[in-house]
Formats: sequence, structure tokens, C-alpha cells
Amino acid sequence: MTIDFLSTGIALLTFFGISALMALSLNLEYGVAGIPNFGKALFVSVGAYTAALTYTYLLPLLAGKTPIYPCGANLTDALQLRTGIIREAMGIGLLNFLLTLVIAAVIGGLIGYLASYPALRLKEEWYLALVLLVGSEIVRILVRGYEPIICAHNGISGLSQPFVALGNPKLASFLFALVILALVALVFIFSERLIHSPYGRLLKAMRENERVAQSLGKRITRTRAQIMVIGSAIAAVSGVLFVVNLGFASANDYVVALTLDVWVMVVIGGIGNNRGALLGAFIITVLDRVTAIAAIQLDQIGFQLEFTYIRFILFGLIILLMLRYRPQGLLPEKPLTTEAHSLLKTQAQK
Amino acid sequence: MSLLTLEHVTKSFGNLRAVHDVSLEIPKGKIIGLIGPNGSGKSTLLNVISALNPADSGRILFEGEEISKRSTDEIFGLGLVRSFQDPSLFFKMTVLDNSLLPVKQQQGEKPWRAPFHHLWRKQEAAAALESSRLLEQLLIRKHYDALASDLSGGQMKLLELGRSLMGNPKLLLLDEPTAGVAPKLAYTIFENIAQMRENLGLTFLIVEHRLEILFDFVDSLYVMHMGQVLTEGSPAEISANSAVREIYFGE
Repeated sequence: MTIDFLSTGIALLTFFGISALMALSLNLEYGVAGIPNFGKALFVSVGAYTAALTYTYLLPLLAGKTPIYPCGANLTDALQLRTGIIREAMGIGLLNFLLTLVIAAVIGGLIGYLASYPALRLKEEWYLALVLLVGSEIVRILVRGYEPIICAHNGISGLSQPFVALGNPKLASFLFALVILALVALVFIFSERLIHSPYGRLLKAMRENERVAQSLGKRITRTRAQIMVIGSAIAAVSGVLFVVNLGFASANDYVVALTLDVWVMVVIGGIGNNRGALLGAFIITVLDRVTAIAAIQLDQIGFQLEFTYIRFILFGLIILLMLRYRPQGLLPEKPLTTEAHSLLKTQAQK
Repeated sequence: MSLLTLEHVTKSFGNLRAVHDVSLEIPKGKIIGLIGPNGSGKSTLLNVISALNPADSGRILFEGEEISKRSTDEIFGLGLVRSFQDPSLFFKMTVLDNSLLPVKQQQGEKPWRAPFHHLWRKQEAAAALESSRLLEQLLIRKHYDALASDLSGGQMKLLELGRSLMGNPKLLLLDEPTAGVAPKLAYTIFENIAQMRENLGLTFLIVEHRLEILFDFVDSLYVMHMGQVLTEGSPAEISANSAVREIYFGE
């Protein structure tokens, strides 16, 4: 078997970028602010469902055409309408893609806020983890059974990448990967600057002892809600990129396993460290691809091994080893926050 | 004029009446001691005042304003700052970060401003200089970039005191400011408290078990026993009070 290194590289970068966004959002929520969001898949899926809706309704409207209900008898017509516009009018496809990102971020943030409302009033933070974990599954099962969003269990296809109109698949995927990496850079810089500010200091204090933080004048509920909004907006953006990369939105992609993958990334990389989140996302993406290819190869020489089992065993093993030997992660969090420290340093040297 | 007034404040946990019908007055600019055996309700009373465990009934007035319905963070905002009995620092944060956290009205604490460092850099620098002076005074300036967990027990208590000050308080509720501290340093901590009252006009309500030091610094004392105020008076009056001696020293 020959491997197309260019395509593999582009695919790897794309998957890495999407995972990195999820890991950065969880790192902000749990790593820095201490909110154990075990509903990551839910907030990612919000982006996916938003994309399904905008590609069905907004895209034709932007192109001056009438949207078609995407499921049942209209399935083929609606699919042709979507793919046709994206293939022929790149400007409209791009505009729709960018609007989808914005809308998904807004809806994601809104749902993050709503989820924060009951959840953040739970006294024990791990109850919140359970509520989000279960809530995430409930929403997935509901969407699986409710046709208008993604045609229930059938899913929606034809959510093509925005650059396919160029006619060169490799160039199109490459440009799409660049867009994703640019978003990763943006989120990374935003998050770093947020952490290295008085707000970051507040988040860390809240993570460590919310009772004391509260008695020092900090509004814990509001702050946690803010972080849920920001984290969920980022997760929803990653969800849009996830489905647009695949071209297909299916509720089955947003199972608990997705949430756990993101947790593995953050735990491996280093809880509270954005660079760690990126490293974790990279390692898991590579392992994910390698196990996938290995499973196919093994299958060809006669081993009947389920790919999913290999990766679950591997990821579980990694988590156990990390927690046993390096619980702080590969790149531990650095304690310094703002530049106030360097100010005192120069003051001391004088 | 009294800065803090409690009128018939009661707090129960189930059947346990932790604080029962407590009334007291903390005059401005005074250092008031709050003593009593373990379990007499002292820490609970501080929790009630700072709304961590809101009162069941009674009134709490701060500068004449009723605060019993306010939340913990609002009460801090009014200038009523408390410390805790167990070391309650943010141990995984630096000494400097610990001291900067309570600073009020921080522009950089708003998420939409925080990423734009030029919007809050000046304010942060001013706060850092203020903190630097304070840490110097408390003899822990050189540890500014150490984790709070790396400080000694006494230094932790000093940092806690300094941190309370950074919130620009009017009244400090200190829960055992010298717990677990060597006698000499305990004295230093109280000297710092006296100095703060002198220089900044602050008022203190201090829960403390080290009566030998406390009596040297307080203007007057309240004695609690089984959730109630047993008596109040000057150090001399309290040490002469036979009821206090009985419950406190078992005499």
C-alpha cells in the first residue's frame, strides 16, 4: 500500500486543529477555572447542528434560492442544492461558512450560559460533571430521534468544505486546514492573554478555593458562567469545523467518547497549560490516525481487530500511566500570571 | 460611633444553635477581641457576619446599613474583610498573586478587557507597587514569586494579613491570626495589626486563643460561651471576671 504523504499531512493538521480547539476550550474551563465540563461533546455538537441548519437554510438564501426541507423525499434535491451552490459559487460558500462559525459561537455561548445556570449552583463540582455528562447524552439521543435538525439518525451530508469550488481537492483541503490553524492560533493567543491577566488570576483562585475567593469579593457564579460561555463558544466553533471537514453531521459522533478524548488530551498535555493542551491534542491526533491505519493494515493481513477497541485500550493505558507517573502532565502549568512579577523583579534588581 | 452592630443574631445548624441571640458593637478604630472555648461559636459568628453562613434572624449593621441580606462578595465590597482560621491562601499561586487578588475594581478582571493588556497594565503596576511596599513591611517581599505553599506557617499568616489589607478594608475580621505561629512572630503579627490601626485607622475584630498576646493589644473583649455572649469588658475586667475564668480556665 502506498501512502499519500501530502494528503495524510493535511488530514493530520486538520484533525489536530479541530482537536486543539476542543482541548483549549476544556483547558480554559477545567485546567484554569476548575469547572469539570464532562459535556464537551454536547457543546461541540451544537456547532455541528448549527452547521447542518445553516447549510440547509442560510446557504440557499444567500445564493438567492429557496431552501428545501433536507430529509425524507427531498433528501437528494436538498443535497444537490447545497453541494451545487458550494461548488459553483465559492464566495457564497465562504460567506455561509464564516457566518456559520459566528452563529455557532453565539449559540454555543448561549447554551453554555444556560447549562451553567443549574449546574453552577450545584455545591459539589463533580455533580456538575455528571449533569453535563448525562445532559450531553440526552441531547444526542433527542437529536437522533428528532428529524428537522439533522434528519434524525440518518444525519446530513453535503456540508462541503468552503474551498472545493477551486476544483483542486488537495489545495482545497490545504486552505481549509490553514483556516483551522489560524483559528487555533487566534484562540490560543486569546486564551493565553486571558490567563495572564487579573482575570486569569481570578480563575485560578476560584479553582483553588471558591469560598475564600468569594470572601475576597469575587462573584463566583458569574465568573463560572462567563467561562462556560467562552469555552462553549470555542467548542461550538470546533464542531462546525468538525462536520465541515467530514462533510457530514451525525449525532453518533458526539458520544461520551469524544468528551473523554478531549479530557485525555488535556490530562496528557498538562492541566492548566495551553501549550500542554496543544501537545496533548497533537499526540492524540497522531495516535488516533496511527491506530486507524494500523487497524486497516492488520485487517488486511488477517487480524480481525476492531479499530475502536485498540484506541480505547491505548488511551486508557495512557491516562493510567500519566496519572501514576506524571499527574501534572507533560507540560506542567506555570504559576506566574501577570507582568506584575517582572515589575517586582526589576524593582528588586535596582 | 459603632462601625459594626449585631442585634440579636441567631444561627442554627439543624438542632444546634451555633450562635444564639448575639448582640455586639464594634466601635470604629478599635481592636476588639472575641474569645471563648472551642465550639463556643466564634468562627460561626464571623461566617454569619461575612454571609458565608447567613444569619437565621437578627440584624447586622455596617456603617449604619443593614447587611444581613447581602452576599459574601458584596460585604467584602463594603470594606468588611475576613481571614480564616486554617491557612486559606491560594497555595498554588504566587505570594504576589495572592496579595493582588482582593484589589477592588480591577479593569483586568473583566473578561472582555483582560485579553487587552494595555487596558489594565497601569492599574496592575500600581497595585503591584502597593503590594510590594506592604510585603516589605510584613518581611515577605523577597518571596513575592514563590508559591504560597512554600512559605513557613508564620509567613503564611503574614501574607494572609497583607492580602486582607489589599482589599482596602475598613473592618477586618481575623480568625486566629497567630494560629500555629511561633510566639515571637505572633507578637510581630499583633504589632503589625496595631500599626495598621494607627496608620490606616482600621478597625479589628479578632478571634484569638493566645490571650497573653491578645490582652496586650485589644481595647476590649467579648467572651462567647455556647453560642452566646457571656460578657464584655476591658482586658483587666475580663481577666478578673469569675464566670469567664470558670468557663475558660476551668477555675
